[in-house]
Amino acid sequence: MKFFAFHLMPWDRLPHDFGQHHESAWTWVPNSLYDPAHGNELYNRYLDELVLAEELGFDGVCVNEHHQNAYGNMPSPNLMAAILARQTERIKIAVIGNALPFYNPPTRVAEEFAMIDVISGGRLIAGMVVGGGPEYYSFSVNPTHARSMYNEALDLVLEAWTRPGPFEHYGQHWKLKYVNPWPVPLQKPHPPVWVPGAGSQETIDMVAERRFAYMGIPYFHFDFFKRNFDSFREACQKQGYTANEEQMGWLVPIYVAETDEQAWAEYEAHLWYFVNNLLKGLVIFPPGYTSARSLARINRALDRFLGNVETRREIEEGKYAIVGSPATVRDQMADCIGQLGVGNILGLFQLGTLPEDLTRKNMTLFAEQVLPELRSSVRPVMNTN
Amino acid sequence: MPITAETRFLDVAGKKTQLTVGGSGPPLLYLHSAAGEADWLPFHEVLAENHTVYVPAHPGFVLSEGLDQIQDMQDLVWHYVDLLKMLGLANVPVAGFSLGAWLAMELAVIRPEMISRLVLADAAGIRLPDAPMAELFIDDLQNTKKLLFFNAECEGVSWVVPDSYEDTRMLMWLRAREATARVGWNPYLHNPRLPGHLHRIGCPTLVLWGREDRLIPLAHGEYLAEHLPHAKLVTFENCGHMLPFERPREFAVATRDFLAADLTGNEAVS
Repeated sequence: MKFFAFHLMPWDRLPHDFGQHHESAWTWVPNSLYDPAHGNELYNRYLDELVLAEELGFDGVCVNEHHQNAYGNMPSPNLMAAILARQTERIKIAVIGNALPFYNPPTRVAEEFAMIDVISGGRLIAGMVVGGGPEYYSFSVNPTHARSMYNEALDLVLEAWTRPGPFEHYGQHWKLKYVNPWPVPLQKPHPPVWVPGAGSQETIDMVAERRFAYMGIPYFHFDFFKRNFDSFREACQKQGYTANEEQMGWLVPIYVAETDEQAWAEYEAHLWYFVNNLLKGLVIFPPGYTSARSLARINRALDRFLGNVETRREIEEGKYAIVGSPATVRDQMADCIGQLGVGNILGLFQLGTLPEDLTRKNMTLFAEQVLPELRSSVRPVMNTN
Repeated sequence: MPITAETRFLDVAGKKTQLTVGGSGPPLLYLHSAAGEADWLPFHEVLAENHTVYVPAHPGFVLSEGLDQIQDMQDLVWHYVDLLKMLGLANVPVAGFSLGAWLAMELAVIRPEMISRLVLADAAGIRLPDAPMAELFIDDLQNTKKLLFFNAECEGVSWVVPDSYEDTRMLMWLRAREATARVGWNPYLHNPRLPGHLHRIGCPTLVLWGREDRLIPLAHGEYLAEHLPHAKLVTFENCGHMLPFERPREFAVATRDFLAADLTGNEAVS
């Protein structure tokens, strides 16, 4: 069982009436709302929280890439990973991930990831993603090419890491006469590859076939995760092998306090800031981004999306976030891990406006009173049906 | 007695292509918009009173396939060069709406001999920095209706926009959006080089526009009327982008009259 601290590095100062005046925290949210002086405090505070994860005994930290939004202020997760490569010594640094179609040419990803891997002494986990729906608006990249650009770029990055250069690449989207990145990664044949997915069968099959790791994208009802991980195990069986639990990761918001009531009292307002402001506009599907058939299906599933949830009861019932005393969180997580059969927990310990003191207390309580027991006693149970 | 139409499928250079044909008389090619109106609609029927109306569905729209062979507008234009040749159509009038009007202009640029007259309704295709086009690719169906129609309650709305994600037409709507985005995501619904080609479109051209078009402002119609060599502009009050849907009869009659007019004189075209 591996435990990661995931950070979104959100903007925590949207105006109180934001929801009434803005339809989205993405793409079109005016950047006049961004205050760089406060950004200076935030970035440094958030990085310190990830450095704390190493001191507390976590196995790794996660950063990810988002553009033109208030939800996550890391347009370049590689910059954050580079800082963490120097400020930590032991933990894995998971960048989940780089949105391949937005790197031109995508050999930039091969280069930057290799730099982080070499600097950190082989601690990089290389996430490769298609990029979020809103980002196809933000970059004017044609979403009807999203999948084919991603597939071509993924092959190219892996080839650049494993095949001696220089070599030629002539694909549909990129034509490169000389592929020969310096440096190459320290981990051989290449750093572990993680792919986050929201349940599309195409992604599940691809990850299973290549024996990468599949990370369930959060903010959906627990049943949705369960179905996705079951499909992933099935897809691995079809490929002729049994999925390793470390090939699966569950990304979930976690808040631990002294008691259940205290946990909710301290956490709830910050969670609603996240739900009501930062998730606004996250789920947008530009045309062709996934097949028309999947789009229609996902749109029907949106009533089981955290952004459309309104009560604490719904959050608890759907396990959109795990909140409570150390014992409550421990029991609930043990149960969930057993049901999902995952070997990686990607905990989101800071969310929305959750301040520094509560974030650090949350991480500390989790690391001292939840993590050790989960690590020693919980074995994911494979779902065989 | 309603004029019926027949739908068949052609193989156009490997692309399965839906084609609906109705009416009698000289041919008229109708090129549909991003909405994918390639099924027989009331305004097609009015046009069919005087013409044999050809309504093909572009690749990726309705039941036409072959979007994988379309990378940009140029590929779409060449698809129509192939289709017209296959149908034996030459020197025909073309009526295009929005995306279809952009396509019609591009076709007239590379194959002027194929087109006798042009009707362009609320045409996409050019970018005017002072009159930007609105965002078509939004998810919300209610906002989409308000963007496209002056009167979002008019009958024509129901011909084209699904009511919800449960609507059986949703799959076709999503396919239409994808096929539109393939040619119109970036550059956004235009070809930066098209203005430089407009002087090559020598045929008589009627530009029709809804004055309240919120997607493609009237300034685009005025620009086209000014820069196309033989064009005149007719506008419709209290009408949004969806001219053929908001004013089906008026759109069809204006088109018919323009195609029937003797343009050898100078009275209709300035």
